Amino acid sequence: MIGAIQGLANRLLGRGDAAIAVPTFDGALKANQKLEEAETLLECAAPEDLATDGRTLLLADGPRLLCLDRKTATEVRSFEGPISAISLLADGKLAVALSGREVRVYSEPTAAKPVAVFATGLGAVNALAPGAGGTLVATDGSAARGVDQWAWDLLERGQSGRVLVLNPADGSTKLLAGGLSFAFGSQTAGDEILVSESWKHRLIAVRPGGAIRVVLPHLPIYPSRLSPASDGGYWLTGFVARTLLVEFILREPAYRKRMMAEIDPEYWIVPRLRSGQSFKEPLQGAHIKTMGVVKPWAPPRSYGLVIRLDSRGAPLYSLHSRADGTNHGVVAAVEHRGDLVMIAKGSGRILRLPIASLDKELGA
Amino acid sequence: MLNTLTRWRYRFWPDHLLGEILSKRWTETAVPVIVLLMVGFGLSRTIPNFLSPSSLADTARQAAEIGFIGLGEALVVIVGGIDLSVGSMFALTDFCALYTLDVLNWPVVAVAAATIACGAVLGAINGFLVGYLGLRAFITTLITLIIYRSAFDLLIQRYSNQIASAFPDFPTWNFIGGGDVVGVPSIAVVYLAVAIFGHIFLTRLRPGWHITAIGGSRRSAYNSGIAVRRTIALCYVASGALTAVGALFFAARLGTVGGDIGVGLEVIVLTATVLGGITLGGGRGSVTRSAVGTLIVLLITNGLTTMNARGGFTRMALATILLVAAMIDIRWQKNRTRIISKVYVSPTYHDLPPPPTTEIGKGGPFEQNDRLRDVELIGLGRIEAPEDVILDRHDNLYAGSRHGDVIRFFAPDYTRMEIFAHIGGQPLGMAFDRKDNLFICIGGMGLYRIDPDGKVEKATDETNRSWLSVNDDSRLRLADDLDITDNGLIFFSEATIRYEMDEWPVDGLEARGNGRIICYDTNTGKTHTAVRGLKFPNGICVASDGQSILFAETFGCSIKRYWFEGPNKGRIEVVMDNLPGYPDNINLASDGNYWLALVGMRSPSLDLAWRMPAFRNRMAKRLPVDEWLFPNINTGCVVKFNEKGEILDSYWDLHGLNHPMITSMREHRGHLYLGGIANNRIGRYKLEGADPNFVQYEKRWGRLP
Repeated sequence: MIGAIQGLANRLLGRGDAAIAVPTFDGALKANQKLEEAETLLECAAPEDLATDGRTLLLADGPRLLCLDRKTATEVRSFEGPISAISLLADGKLAVALSGREVRVYSEPTAAKPVAVFATGLGAVNALAPGAGGTLVATDGSAARGVDQWAWDLLERGQSGRVLVLNPADGSTKLLAGGLSFAFGSQTAGDEILVSESWKHRLIAVRPGGAIRVVLPHLPIYPSRLSPASDGGYWLTGFVARTLLVEFILREPAYRKRMMAEIDPEYWIVPRLRSGQSFKEPLQGAHIKTMGVVKPWAPPRSYGLVIRLDSRGAPLYSLHSRADGTNHGVVAAVEHRGDLVMIAKGSGRILRLPIASLDKELGA
Repeated sequence: MLNTLTRWRYRFWPDHLLGEILSKRWTETAVPVIVLLMVGFGLSRTIPNFLSPSSLADTARQAAEIGFIGLGEALVVIVGGIDLSVGSMFALTDFCALYTLDVLNWPVVAVAAATIACGAVLGAINGFLVGYLGLRAFITTLITLIIYRSAFDLLIQRYSNQIASAFPDFPTWNFIGGGDVVGVPSIAVVYLAVAIFGHIFLTRLRPGWHITAIGGSRRSAYNSGIAVRRTIALCYVASGALTAVGALFFAARLGTVGGDIGVGLEVIVLTATVLGGITLGGGRGSVTRSAVGTLIVLLITNGLTTMNARGGFTRMALATILLVAAMIDIRWQKNRTRIISKVYVSPTYHDLPPPPTTEIGKGGPFEQNDRLRDVELIGLGRIEAPEDVILDRHDNLYAGSRHGDVIRFFAPDYTRMEIFAHIGGQPLGMAFDRKDNLFICIGGMGLYRIDPDGKVEKATDETNRSWLSVNDDSRLRLADDLDITDNGLIFFSEATIRYEMDEWPVDGLEARGNGRIICYDTNTGKTHTAVRGLKFPNGICVASDGQSILFAETFGCSIKRYWFEGPNKGRIEVVMDNLPGYPDNINLASDGNYWLALVGMRSPSLDLAWRMPAFRNRMAKRLPVDEWLFPNINTGCVVKFNEKGEILDSYWDLHGLNHPMITSMREHRGHLYLGGIANNRIGRYKLEGADPNFVQYEKRWGRLP
C-alpha cells in the first residue's frame, strides 16, 4: 500500500523511478570523432556481425557470409534467411544464427551439412560466442519479439532475454540466465560469462550457476556485442545511445501505447541505428540546425560507440560517432591483425581503425 | 471518445490562467483576504449578533486602534527591521494623553499634539539606535520595550490616582473616544484616511519606494544613493507616532491607565503584520495587507474571548498563528518563482488530421523535389538570422540580423554589404510603404519604421489592453510579420502574448491560441487588436480585393483570410488547413498568386503529442528544453498557392545542406530570395518563366504595369 502510494507520488512529482537521468559521456567515455575518421573498408546492404579466429575475418551481410580481406570481400556461402549472428569456434567450427530462430554449427565455414542444429525455443538469437569446453554461448534477446524488432521489445520494457549454453557435441541446450532485459552479446571471461543487458544499460557477469554480478552499471548507451581484445580486455559496442526523451517515453505508457498503435515504426520516439532520413522523425530542441551547424552534442537518435574495456571490465577509452556523424549503430567490433574492424550498421559500412594508434592516442 | 473528453476538458478549463494569476503580485494579498473572509464567515455563523451594527462598530474601534500600530509596524518591517517596543510605547503615550488632559488640563488639541510628539520621540530613540548607530533592531527594541515599560510603571505609581479621579467631559474628547460620522466610528474614518494616504505613500511616492528598496536590499539601496540611515530612523519615528495615534483614541475611549495596558501588544501586532503577508525581513508589504492582518487577528481574538477562552489560551493561539504564517511566508517566498515556472506552461489539446503526403512517388501538390538544392548563397557567414528579406526598387537587398541590425546588400552582385540601420531587437517581417519607408516587426520591441536614409523610428509598441486577460497584453512581445493596406493600415501578427521570442518552442508546446493580429493605422498613429486567439499567427499578406488579409497560423498549420473592411468585414475564413508543415511568411508572387514558406514539417510523434496535453505538460516539467520534442524546423519548403486554397507548386531541398531553413521568401525580378531565422546565409533561386520586372512593393503601389 505504502509502496503504491509512493509510486504514485513519484510519478506525480517526477521522483524516484520517475526521475529521468542519463549519465553523461565522461571520463573514459569522453566523446571524440574517432569513428567518423575511421577508414571505410566496405559498404554493404545489411552488415550484421563479424567473426574472426585470428586468420580469417568473416562478415555476415544479410543472408550472405563473406570473407573479408582488407577491402575485398569474397562470398563464402549463402543461407536461406538473414544471418543474425556468427561466431568462429576454437577448432575452426562455424556457428551461425539464422533469423534469430535457429543456430547451426558447421565443422568448417564451407561445410555443406551442419554438425549440430538448435531450432527449438529460440526467439531472437543476436550474438554467439565460444564457451568453455567446445560449447557455444548464445544470447537470445527476447522471447516476445524477433531480432529485428528490438525497438518493440524496448518500448514494451521486455524482460525475456536469456543466455543459453549450446553444446554442439550432444545437441543439448542449457539455460544459464533468464529474465534479462534484452541480452545482446556475450563473452567468456574465465569461468564467468560477460553479458550485455541492453535495456538495463549494464554489463553483467553470469557465473556458472546462473548468479549475476554487475560489472559495469549506468552506461549512457545500450550495450551490445562484446569481443576479446588481444591483451585480455574487451571491446564493447553500444548500438544505440540513451536520451532523456526516450527515458521519458519509457515512463509514459499511454503515449507509448498510442505511438506504437498509430505511428509508423520508422517515426517512433525510440533509438534507431540511423537517423536524419526524414523530417517525420521526431526532432528535439538541440537538433535544430543553427547557422548551418548540427550540434554534435544534440541528443542522439542514433549514435556510434565502441568502448575498450580492460580485463576487469573497466572502461579505458571509447570511440565515438556523435549526433552530427553518420557511422552510427555500431553492432560489432573485432580485433583482426592489429586493426579494429567494426560494423556501423546505420551507415552500412565496415570500418577499420589501427589499434596501435588508438592505444597511443587515447591511452590504453 | 477519450479524445473528445480531452478536447472539451482543455477547451473549457483555462489551465493557463493559474500560472498567470500566480505571477501577479496581488495573489499574495489575496490569500490573507480569503483567510479573513473565511474567519469572518465562520464567526458570523457561531457568534450571534456578530454582524449587528453595534457589534461591527465596536470591532471597528478596536481594529483601528491596533490598525494604527499595525501600520507603524508594517513600515518598520518593510524597511527591514522590527519594532517590539510598540506595546510599551502604547502604554506610555496613553499615559501621556491622560496626564496632559487630566493632570495638566491642557486643551484637547494640545493633548493630541503632545501625545503624538511623545510617540514620535519614543520612536526616534529606536530610530536613532537602529538607523544611525546600526544596532540590531530586535535587541534594541526589546531593550526599549523594557525601559519604556519600567518608565510607565514608575509614572502610574505616582499619577494613577489623579488620573483615575478625573472625569474629563469635553465634546471633542468624547467625539474622539466614541463619536461617529454617519454611523462610522470617528477612529475608523481617521484610520481609513491614514491608510489611503499610506497606500499612496508606499506605492506612488518616492519615500515609500525608498522604504521598499531598503527592505529589499539595503546595500543596493545605499549604492543607488538612498539615504538609508535616515529613512530607517524615520520609519521608527513613524511607528512611534502611529502608535501614539492609536493610544490617543484608546485613552479617549477608556480613559484608564491600568498596569497591563499594552502588555503583549507586540505579539498581536506582529501576528497581524505577518498574517497579512508582510514578509519579516523586509521589502514586501502593503497597507492593505496590514489592514487585513489586523482584522483577522482581531476577529480571532474577539471570537475566542466571546467563546470564553482564557487570555493565555488566546495569546497561545496568536503565537501559533504567527509561527505558521511566518513559515508559510518564508516557504512561499523561497519557492515562488519555481512554482510559477512549473505551473505557467499549460499545454492544451490540439488535434490535426493526418497530413497530406509529401513522399516522392506518391504524387500530390506537396511531393518532394530537389529544386532548391543548388540555390545561390548570399552573405554566407556574414549575416546571422535573416528571418525575412526584402528588395527595394533599386534591387538592393535588406535582411535582419540577430545582432539587431538591418543589413543592406548592394545590387547587382550582393557581395558588398552595410549596416543599414541598427535597431537592437531581432528584425522579423518587413514591408515598404508608398514612400519607400521600410516597416519592420521587431521581436520583443514592436513595429518600427526606417526611412530611406536609415533613420529609425518607433511606429508602435502597444495596443489596447483587453478586459479579460490576466497578463498585461497591451505590450507587444513578438511582432512577427506585416503588410500594408491601400489605406495605410498596417496589419501585423503577434505570434504569442504569453512568451518572449526566444521561448517560441514553449508556445509550440502549449499549442494554444496565444497569438493575435494587430492593426496600426499610419494615418492616426492608433493601434488596436484585430483578431485574437490564433495559434502562432505568422505571415501576413494583403489579398487581391484590398479588403482582406491572408494570414498563416504556424502551429495551426493553416492559412486563413480576414476581412478588415467591405461587406464581409470581421469575417474569418479558412483558405487552407491541415498543411503538412508549419506555415511562415506569405508574400505576393508575380503571377498574382502567393508564396508561402513552410518553416518546418510536421512529424507524427509531435502530432500525437499535441493530442495528449498531460503528456506534454510532464515533458515540459521533466525534460530540459533541449530535449523536448520540437516541431521539425530543419526541413522546409516554399509553396505557391492561390486564394482558393490550391497549392500550385512546391520547391524543396531534400537534405537542407545548402539552405537548411526557410522562414520567408521574396520574389524579385525573376528570382526568389530566401530567408531563414537560424541561417547564416540568404538563398537566391532563379525562377523559370517569372516576370523579370516584378518588384513586390512597386507592383503593390501601382508603379508597375
